[in-house]
Amino acid sequence: MTKPVQSDTTSTEDERARQRFILEDTGFDEVPKKYRKFYRKWKATGDALAPNEVICPVCKVVIRSSRELRPGDRVYCMPCMSRLIVVRTDAGTLEAHVAY
Amino acid sequence: MPVRAPEPSSGDIHDLEPQQFLEEVHSFEFWFQAVEGYLSGLTWGHRPDTPDEPLVPADRERLISVLCNYCVGETAALEGSSGLIAIAPNRLSKIFLSTQVADEGRHLEVFVRRLRDLGVADPEAEIERRASRSLLLFKRRLLELVASKDWEAAIFAQNVILESLEFVVFTSHAEDADPVTAEVLKAVIKDERRHIGFGENELGRRLADSPHSRARIAQIRKELDHLVLDTLEETSGNIGLDRSEHDRLGRVYLESVERLGLLR
Amino acid sequence: MADFLSAYSIQRWLESCPQGYLVNTEYGHETGEEEPELLYSNEVIHEDAIRTTVQLVVGERCALAASSGLINAAPDEASKRFLATQTLDEARHVEVFTQRLYDLGVRKDELTDVINRYANPNLVKFAEILLEKVDKKDFIAGVVGQNIVLEGLAFSVFEMMHAMNADMNAKFAHTLSGTIADERRHVGFGENRIGSLIKTHPEKKSEVERMQKDMSYFMLATFADGFRNNETAAELDRIGEGRAHADFHGKDLGVMSPEEMEGLLADTVLKEFKVRLERVGIEYQTPSRP
Repeated sequence: MTKPVQSDTTSTEDERARQRFILEDTGFDEVPKKYRKFYRKWKATGDALAPNEVICPVCKVVIRSSRELRPGDRVYCMPCMSRLIVVRTDAGTLEAHVAY
Repeated sequence: MPVRAPEPSSGDIHDLEPQQFLEEVHSFEFWFQAVEGYLSGLTWGHRPDTPDEPLVPADRERLISVLCNYCVGETAALEGSSGLIAIAPNRLSKIFLSTQVADEGRHLEVFVRRLRDLGVADPEAEIERRASRSLLLFKRRLLELVASKDWEAAIFAQNVILESLEFVVFTSHAEDADPVTAEVLKAVIKDERRHIGFGENELGRRLADSPHSRARIAQIRKELDHLVLDTLEETSGNIGLDRSEHDRLGRVYLESVERLGLLR
Repeated sequence: MADFLSAYSIQRWLESCPQGYLVNTEYGHETGEEEPELLYSNEVIHEDAIRTTVQLVVGERCALAASSGLINAAPDEASKRFLATQTLDEARHVEVFTQRLYDLGVRKDELTDVINRYANPNLVKFAEILLEKVDKKDFIAGVVGQNIVLEGLAFSVFEMMHAMNADMNAKFAHTLSGTIADERRHVGFGENRIGSLIKTHPEKKSEVERMQKDMSYFMLATFADGFRNNETAAELDRIGEGRAHADFHGKDLGVMSPEEMEGLLADTVLKEFKVRLERVGIEYQTPSRP
C-alpha cells in the first residue's frame, strides 16, 4: 500500500510541505507490470483516498502518485488512457477532471 | 539514438509529457503487457477450474437472452472498430484500434463459448432469434456512420456510447452473475476501460479544437440515446435488476456523454 | 468449416502468440538487443537499412488496412474473429518495424517524410490494387490478395531476410522470426478459407486471377528496384566486411550478386503463389517481367 516517507525539500515553501510516498503493487493487473503500483481498485465500502490518490472519473480506478497531490497537478489514468487535472471541490476534497 | 518506452527521470509516470503518454498507451506493447496480466491462465475468458454451477431453467433462459444481446453488441463493436482503422487520422490511433479489434473479437468468442456451455447448439441462430430490435438498429446506425467515414461521429457512437453502455451493464451484471459468467465479464470490463477512455479522450480533444462539431455530435447523441436507453431497460430486466439500479445505470451512462459537454 | 476455423480462434491465438513466442520480447526482440554498430557507422549500409525497413512498414500498413477492412466483408462470425487477430498482428508489425526506424536514428517528427522519401512506388501500386478490392468489400478477392499474395510475398521476403540476419543481427532476426510465425497463420487461413469459398463462387475466378497477375507484376518491379539499386553488397566488399553465408532454398546468399538474389527471391515467391493458388482452385497467371 501507500507509505508516506518524507517531505520534499527541493522546491518552494509549498512544495516543501508535500509528502512523498513509496508506492507498492496492490495487485492491480490491468496495466504493464512497471506501471501497476500507480493504480489500485476502489473498494466500495470502508475505502478512503490517501493524499496522493484521486479517482479517475472515466473508469473509476484509483490513481496514485509518489507525491501528495495538489490542485493543478497533472495525473494520468493508464487503464483508460485519460489525462486529468486535480482540482479541489467545494467540499474541500480533491477530484480529477479530464483534460482533453 | 534508439527511442524507448518513456521513463520519466522522477520515476513517476504522471511526470510524462502528454505526447509521450499517448505514444505509450496507444501502442501494441502496452496492450500486450496489459492483457498478459489478466488473461494469462484463462481459457475462454475464465479459469478452467471455476465451478460451472447449474442454473434453474428460468435463470438459464434469461442468461441466454442476455448473452445473445452481448454478442450483438460485440459484433457491432468488432465491425465498427475494424472499419474505424481505415479512417483513423494517425498511426497511433490505427494501432490502438487494432488492439480494440482483437479485444472485441475475443469478447464475441467468449460469449459465444458461454452460450455453448449453457447448451445452446447453434449460437449464431439463437443470437439472431433473440437480438433486441433497438440494439440491431443501433448497430445499423453505427455501421452507417463508419461507412460514411465520419471519424468523430463514428468514434462517438462506438467508443463513447456503445462502450459506455457495455461498461455499465457488464459491471452491474458481474456483481450478481454465476461464477463462470462473472469471471468472463470481469476480464471483458478490463478491456472496456481502454476503449471508453480512448473514445472519450480522442473525441474530447477534437471537440476542444473544433467546438462547431459539438452541435453535430449532440444531434447524433439525440438520435441514439433512446436506442441505448431502450436496450439498457431490456437488458436490465433480463439481468434481474430492480428499478433503482436500472436508473443508476442510466445515470452512469449519461455522465460520460455529459463530460464531453453534449447536453440534450 | 466450423472445425477448421476453430483452430483460428482468439483463444488459440492468445496461447500461441502473446502467451507463446512473444513472451519476454520487446518490440519483437529480446530486451537489450541492439543493431550492429556497422549499421550506424557506415552511411551506405545505414541508408539501405532504413530504405529496406520503410518497405516493410509500407507493406504492413497495407496489410493492416486490408485485414481490418475485410472484417466487415467476412461472411461468417468465425472469419471475423480470425481477422481480428490478424488485424492486431499487422498493427504489431507496423509498430515493430516503425520502432526499428527509430532505433536506426529516424526522429519521430521526420517519420512521415522518411517513409514518403523511401517508399517504393511499385509497392504502393501493389497495395492499391489490394485495397481497391477491400474497399469494395470483395471478401474473396480481398482474402486472396491479402492472405495469399501479400502474405505469401511477406513470408518469403521475411524468410530471406531472416537467413541473411541470423548470424549478423540477432535483434532484427528475432523481430523477423516473430512476424514469420504470424504470417504462417495468415497464409494458412487464406488457403483454407478461400479453398471452400472459391468452390461455391467459381464465377469469381477470372477476376481473382487478373488481380494476382497485376499484383505479381508490381511485386517483381519492387524487387527489381530494391535489388538492382542496392549498394550494400558492394559496400561490404569495399570495406572488407564479409557477407553472411546464409542458406536460402539451397543457395548461399553470401556469394550471390544482388541480381542473382532478386531472381532467387522472385522465383521462390512466384513458385509459392503457383502452388498455393492451385491448391485452392485458382489458376496461377504468369506476370510480365519488369
